[in-house]
Amino acid sequence: MLDALRFEWTRLLTLRSTYWLIGMGLLVTTGVAVLLGVAGRNDPISTEVLWIALNGAAGFGLPFLAVFMAIIGIFACGHEYRHGTIQPTLTSLPQRNRLILAKLAVVLTTTLAVTIVQMAINLGVVYVVWGEAPGLFEDPLGTALIGYVLYVLLYVLVGFGLGLLFRGVPSALVVIFLMPLIIENMIFGLSNIPQLDWLVPVVKFLPFTDGARLMELAAPDFGPGAPDFDLFSRWASGGVFALFAALILSAAWILFKKRDA
Amino acid sequence: MITAKGLYKRYRKTVAVDHLSFDVRPGVVTGFLGPNGSGKSTTMRLMLGLDHGEGETLFDGKRFGTIRRPINEVGALLEAKPFHPTRSARNHLRMLAAGNRIPDRRVDEVMEFVGLGDVKRKKPKGYSLGMAQRLGLAQALLGDPRILLLDEPTNGLDPHGIHWMRDVLKTLAAEGRTIFVSSHLLSEMQLMADELVVIGRGTMIFNGDVDTFVREFTQSQVVVRGPDTAGFTAALEAEGGEVKAEDGALVVSGLEIGKVGHLAFTTGVELHELSTRRASLEEAFMSATGASEEFVAKEPVRAGGPAAPEGEAL
Ligand SMILES: Nc1ncnc2c1ncn2[C@@H]1O[C@H](COP(=O)(O)OP(=O)(O)O)[C@@H](O)[C@H]1O
Ligand SMILES: [Mg+2]
Repeated sequence: MLDALRFEWTRLLTLRSTYWLIGMGLLVTTGVAVLLGVAGRNDPISTEVLWIALNGAAGFGLPFLAVFMAIIGIFACGHEYRHGTIQPTLTSLPQRNRLILAKLAVVLTTTLAVTIVQMAINLGVVYVVWGEAPGLFEDPLGTALIGYVLYVLLYVLVGFGLGLLFRGVPSALVVIFLMPLIIENMIFGLSNIPQLDWLVPVVKFLPFTDGARLMELAAPDFGPGAPDFDLFSRWASGGVFALFAALILSAAWILFKKRDA
Repeated sequence: MITAKGLYKRYRKTVAVDHLSFDVRPGVVTGFLGPNGSGKSTTMRLMLGLDHGEGETLFDGKRFGTIRRPINEVGALLEAKPFHPTRSARNHLRMLAAGNRIPDRRVDEVMEFVGLGDVKRKKPKGYSLGMAQRLGLAQALLGDPRILLLDEPTNGLDPHGIHWMRDVLKTLAAEGRTIFVSSHLLSEMQLMADELVVIGRGTMIFNGDVDTFVREFTQSQVVVRGPDTAGFTAALEAEGGEVKAEDGALVVSGLEIGKVGHLAFTTGVELHELSTRRASLEEAFMSATGASEEFVAKEPVRAGGPAAPEGEAL
């Protein structure tokens, strides 16, 4: 297992894309905090502003860091097939389970580290501008930030699974970005039409929408007249997203063991 | 030493490898010969556990998947360019080395050995096919393995490179290593290999030394030339010879040269030439694998000629 970890670590660090994807992720999220600081430096900081500043606009539905890290997750296996390196990889590390475990360990550890660094940088920006970060460790915000870390990890896991499942990069990218953006938004939107109200019970099972609720500050309020979606709690929603990630990963893993390399 | 037993692999419709069994001995280069599509690459992938199929391959007594840090025991080069285009050649090898506890020093050593020392920090994207094959050989040699499996390693090499590859493989074999190298060119195998495993459509055609293969599958013919050989054909055919006219000469197969000379003497035919001709190696190879060729081009049909029997692709 140590050998496989050493291999995977070298694989990740010898790719230029690793550096620019992490760099872009940190740059954009820091930019969000800086913009908020420039705009709101004369007002006392609110919990909402602090929340958005720390998760780099992920709370607004723009999870920049998660997106860049998910591409690294897709590359972990997708690159191997796209460029045919799976053959030398498996002739130097033939135990397929160990290889996948090592890849998962490396990509998730990297994601966790980068996410914590990102939050630390953004907290630094907040302190420079406002000199304080009220309620950081208290319930709605503290819990939402833990949820944010979990969300990024699960999102990367989905990317990893898709890269292994599709054995390539482009199709995995399409699914991970278009599915939440188009399919889930469409189902949510259509469920508001009375004739399509049979879609209402489906909404609480939309995986990416559920995943995003891990980092919410307060349960969503769709206003009067919206259908009753009977949504899950924060953690149960996160559970749906985790289950979705687990399903994709298991399918990919089983196929990886069965298929020809 | 490699022992392959009962290798079998079918894709949806095609049986790519059909119950192949063979041994590859150390100390010699064993050529793995077959036309394109005959199942060489599939066999090698099966041997290394990359493809799932039937049968078993033992490398010095062990299955590939059970060898700890396998590139130290079995080196392989399968696909033509299995490199990430923007990871430097040196980093590609460092990555594989890291998974098998091989020091970076060894990476530089093999890159020098294959002649890529000056471009080792360059990206394989800019490598020619020949350079990529050299990098592939460096990859196979990384762990200084006792056993080497190389799939068409001379593809894309220039004549100088082919010569070099041949010398390298012979030298490695002379050190007592086991070398199994595939090719679809018999002429190349004849210069490189001592032993042959010849397949066609996934089945074994020949397993033995190169000279025996050439002898067994090379028919010799007798060439007869003279001022008036027209009447001689019938006499030759009466003795069981098969005669073809070829720009003024008769080409006889199925009869010894002595027998043809004797016939000329007894029938009183004047000869200007009486010689033997060996069919070329490629012809021998074609005749050995011809019936098992995967893609058979149909003979051109002469317009207006008698309808030729349908050239059934087997
Ligand atoms: N992945 C695959 N799917 C389906 N058929 C394949 C696959 N790989 C090889 N084949 C078929 O198996 C046969 C053997 O192919 P291959 O092993 O590549 O031959 P060679 O290396 O001798 O040229 C061919 O008929 C080829 O079309
Ligand atoms: Mg081949």
